[in-house]
Amino acid sequence: MKQLVVLFFGFTLMSAAADAQFKAPALDKSPMDMSYYPANFPILKIQNKATEPLMARVLYSRPQKNGRNVFGDLIEYGKVWRLGANEATEIELYKDVKIDNTRLKKGRYSMYAIPFQDKWTLIFNRETDIWGAFQYDDKKDVLRTEIKLEKQQEPIEAFTLLFDKTDSGANMIMAWDNVKATLPITFIK
Amino acid sequence: MYQTRHFIKLCSLVWMLSFLTGCDQNTTSGNNTVTITPDVTTNKPTEKDIQPGLDKSPMDMSYYPVDYPKLKMAANVTEPLIARIIYSRPQKNNRIIFGNLIKYGSVWRLGANEATEIEFFKDVTIGNKKVTKGRYVIYCIPQENTWTLVLNNDLFTWGLKIDSTKDAYKFNIPIAKTRFPYELFTMEFEKAGKGMQLIMEWDSVKANLPINW
Repeated sequence: MKQLVVLFFGFTLMSAAADAQFKAPALDKSPMDMSYYPANFPILKIQNKATEPLMARVLYSRPQKNGRNVFGDLIEYGKVWRLGANEATEIELYKDVKIDNTRLKKGRYSMYAIPFQDKWTLIFNRETDIWGAFQYDDKKDVLRTEIKLEKQQEPIEAFTLLFDKTDSGANMIMAWDNVKATLPITFIK
Repeated sequence: MYQTRHFIKLCSLVWMLSFLTGCDQNTTSGNNTVTITPDVTTNKPTEKDIQPGLDKSPMDMSYYPVDYPKLKMAANVTEPLIARIIYSRPQKNNRIIFGNLIKYGSVWRLGANEATEIEFFKDVTIGNKKVTKGRYVIYCIPQENTWTLVLNNDLFTWGLKIDSTKDAYKFNIPIAKTRFPYELFTMEFEKAGKGMQLIMEWDSVKANLPINW
């Protein structure tokens, strides 16, 4: 009988532990977000307003400035940065495109940036679903390109990445703090 | 003197009323039926509108193996990548979620904003059905004691309009009530037996979808 009672208590404790075991993760302080070209594609789609097919989708996290000096300080010049936070930023291309006159095949890539004071080196890398740039392997690079920067008058609080239509395709705009970087992407007709 | 007192009374009444209506507006704006921005434009963003605020139902991503990207970073991967889910995390905000905010028997996008997306990197088995590897939209039709989970082929869509003609698989699962309400909607994978389960929980409901391969 005593054993039974012990067993019973054991089970209740175990089930309570199992119940308490799962802890819902808190909201991320650098929340994830998605950008599309065409911009807001899913909304356009359900409103039957999409006039172009889906070309690209970026999955990235949005760290905040929080009073810090970002480029050259929090993110050191010359070092590989995951272009966001948490997981390495991911781009998926639904058609082949041209960047800097090089063809980039459709597919999923991780993106990194090496920021400098006056330009960024932007990297497309084959190794996806990886955290940060800690294991970044340049042997898996698919494309590297240098892009121009513009200074922002008003500092941007949350790192933002979005697409903007151009005559030959789209610009991917990356902006944070007082820096705005633009990657021109050419669509192949 | 009498007039002034009267005036003060009137003023405080007006003040209280404005306060009350102010509160009222707060509750309606807190009513998280996520709205589709009607005036979506694909115009060039100017410096001003390049600053979109953070989403109130932020997006998140879960993997099986759990924390796969971190395992990969630490060169600690012992199992291949099986699944990834991308979803948004609405909050309870004192509302009754199931049967109220989300009506029983109606389509729910399992999150907020975009339709929730699940990708299997190999063929899996769910409830005796073989599910071909690939990417699906996953949505839910909640009832009081069961949920119907649906895998659907209409990708890259906003969760408020799901094309059910593209449904691929349907599964009915029982749900459990939790002792404490969960503030945030959560979707996570967990190892279970030889496979895994997809855990979904929000408010006082917890649902598990067993997945094997």
